[in-house]
Amino acid sequence: MPGRIAAIALALLISIPARAADVLPIFDAHLHYSHDAWDVVPTLEAIAILRRAGLKRAMVSSSSDDGTQKLYAAAPDLVLPSLRPYRSRGEIGTWMRDDSVVGHVEARLKQYRYVAIGEFHIYGADADLPVMRRLVELAKQYGLFLHAHSDADAVDRLFVQDPQARVLWAHAGFASPGIVSGMLRKHRNLWADLAFRNDHAPGGKLDESWRAVFLEFPDRFMVGTDTFTPERWHYVGPHADFSRAWLASLPKEIAERIAWRNGETLFSRMMNGR
Amino acid sequence: MRRCILVIAAFAVLTCVAPAKARPEFTDAERRRILAHGPWPLPVPRDPSNRVSGKPEAIALGERLFFDRRLSSTGAMACDWCHTPSLDWTDGFARGVGRQTVDRNTLSLWNAGFGRWFGWSGAHDSLWAQSTRPLLDAREMDMSAPRVAERVRGDPDLACRFRQVFGQPPSAMHDEAVLVATGKALAAFQETLVSGRTPFDAFRDALARNDTAAIAQYPADARRGLKIFVGRGNCSLCHLGPLFSNGEFADVGIPFFLPRGGVDPGRHDGIRQLRASPYNLLGPHNDDRSGAAAIRTRHVELQHRNFGEFRVPSLRNVARTAPYMHNGSLATLRDVVRHYSELDEDRLHADGERILKPLRLSDGEADDLIAFLNSLSDDGTPFIRRSTATDPPCR
Repeated sequence: MPGRIAAIALALLISIPARAADVLPIFDAHLHYSHDAWDVVPTLEAIAILRRAGLKRAMVSSSSDDGTQKLYAAAPDLVLPSLRPYRSRGEIGTWMRDDSVVGHVEARLKQYRYVAIGEFHIYGADADLPVMRRLVELAKQYGLFLHAHSDADAVDRLFVQDPQARVLWAHAGFASPGIVSGMLRKHRNLWADLAFRNDHAPGGKLDESWRAVFLEFPDRFMVGTDTFTPERWHYVGPHADFSRAWLASLPKEIAERIAWRNGETLFSRMMNGR
Repeated sequence: MRRCILVIAAFAVLTCVAPAKARPEFTDAERRRILAHGPWPLPVPRDPSNRVSGKPEAIALGERLFFDRRLSSTGAMACDWCHTPSLDWTDGFARGVGRQTVDRNTLSLWNAGFGRWFGWSGAHDSLWAQSTRPLLDAREMDMSAPRVAERVRGDPDLACRFRQVFGQPPSAMHDEAVLVATGKALAAFQETLVSGRTPFDAFRDALARNDTAAIAQYPADARRGLKIFVGRGNCSLCHLGPLFSNGEFADVGIPFFLPRGGVDPGRHDGIRQLRASPYNLLGPHNDDRSGAAAIRTRHVELQHRNFGEFRVPSLRNVARTAPYMHNGSLATLRDVVRHYSELDEDRLHADGERILKPLRLSDGEADDLIAFLNSLSDDGTPFIRRSTATDPPCR
């Protein structure tokens, strides 16, 4: 009986409606639900956090991918799965030299459906290592984006391997607005998320250099929280509010694109019929 | 040619028989870092935002208030309830215990006057503002400005001392002004809590004057630990200067979930509280007319990385202020060293160059680092109250 009551309570929690209609929806392109989060932020609580934050969609990748699948099973209308090549925490710096990663990714791609491979961490010439090359091939084979936490050099190398690749550049590479705009000009299939960055909106106010980049490339940006520790699930709401605050100083149509329309346009249909 | 061979041969012999010059124990860079941890003590700090900072009458009044149990709603606790002199101005608990258990470990007050931000989250930008916080917190002393003012006004001796320090009796001051004045007197007292010289300080000064005999007095294990601290451990990058703290905030991979649910956002919440506080240095209670003291408050920025950051604490007397970290989750110095030795890098964001990396210390190296940390303790001279109930009444 107590279990039933708890289930009802959780069901109520999960069905909490998103914020009022006048609140700008958010497509959060950078979330993780890794194994150390599952107990401290149970799946239904995580989904409730996303809905309370007014998220329209949440692109999730996890170490391991089981975390993503848990969230997707609980809220397929909300969660867009991305396949992280890490089986557990601790593989960020080694995965690209671990041949067994390829078999893992191939097996998951056969078993589940995704919108992207990533987020993975790859820098410089490591992008040309065989494991990374195989991931680029798999992304092409399955029609998936690559979500790359990379420097500009590595992004360039991914596009050399597959000029038709579609890359979501995590954190916009933590690069300056000048470098980011140069990369967006150079690669028409490059998009960027702004997770864990403040420089585009220091103090919550839009930086003028970044404003110019957003106005030039309104279709190429998304926002994201980056829940790289379990505690950061409690930052999804504040981050959505942070995004709404600085986006408010852009023309409404552009703000909506960056807030959610770009992500929706690019990713949402990829899971249709799945 | 023959002469040349002889010279070479002679040189070769010389290099074989001459005693090898001992490699210096510390590199030039390490030596510079070590010297930067002193000299100690620093002069007693003066706070330009507090017009009674350093005034003997204010220090004496602050001391009285610090131990005055009437400043809590139940009359049961004063500041020393949590900041106990015999416990190095902390309480020995993992998380502070006032009327209720709070979320964070009680910071020691040693050297509090040298701070830039106060509390684990830096929610206050002056020691006097910080000193009002536990007075007003319902979980701690549970007072309010009117109740503090009432207690001060109701004691003729205390009211007299207020008049002497602040130039007007509390009866002529608004409730909030009395609260702020109480905080400023408390701060004036706490500024005097400067820790004493330590074995490390003696070593550091000996190193500065190349006094080899005095240098040799510093234990070998502490020297090895110091080398890790300023060398490959990179500890001194954050625990820098004479205070062994940069006074800023960091996420060092300590989980920050709360036992009661939710998380402690640390510095992220601290900045929000700071901005909202009527007692910050941008407000009317700042006595610094130059505006210089408020610059840091005016320019502090809220960033994503602040979520889960906590203040880098001073390491002076660290061996006597267990338990450790913002939530007291590490019971001993060995636990702290183990934490940094086995650091979970995945808890830290892969943004740019990483300062924190697992130290992977051997047991012996951990012992050495702990020996060094132990050498940061002074002789623990007991605090003796300078004001007592038997003092002549104020006139």
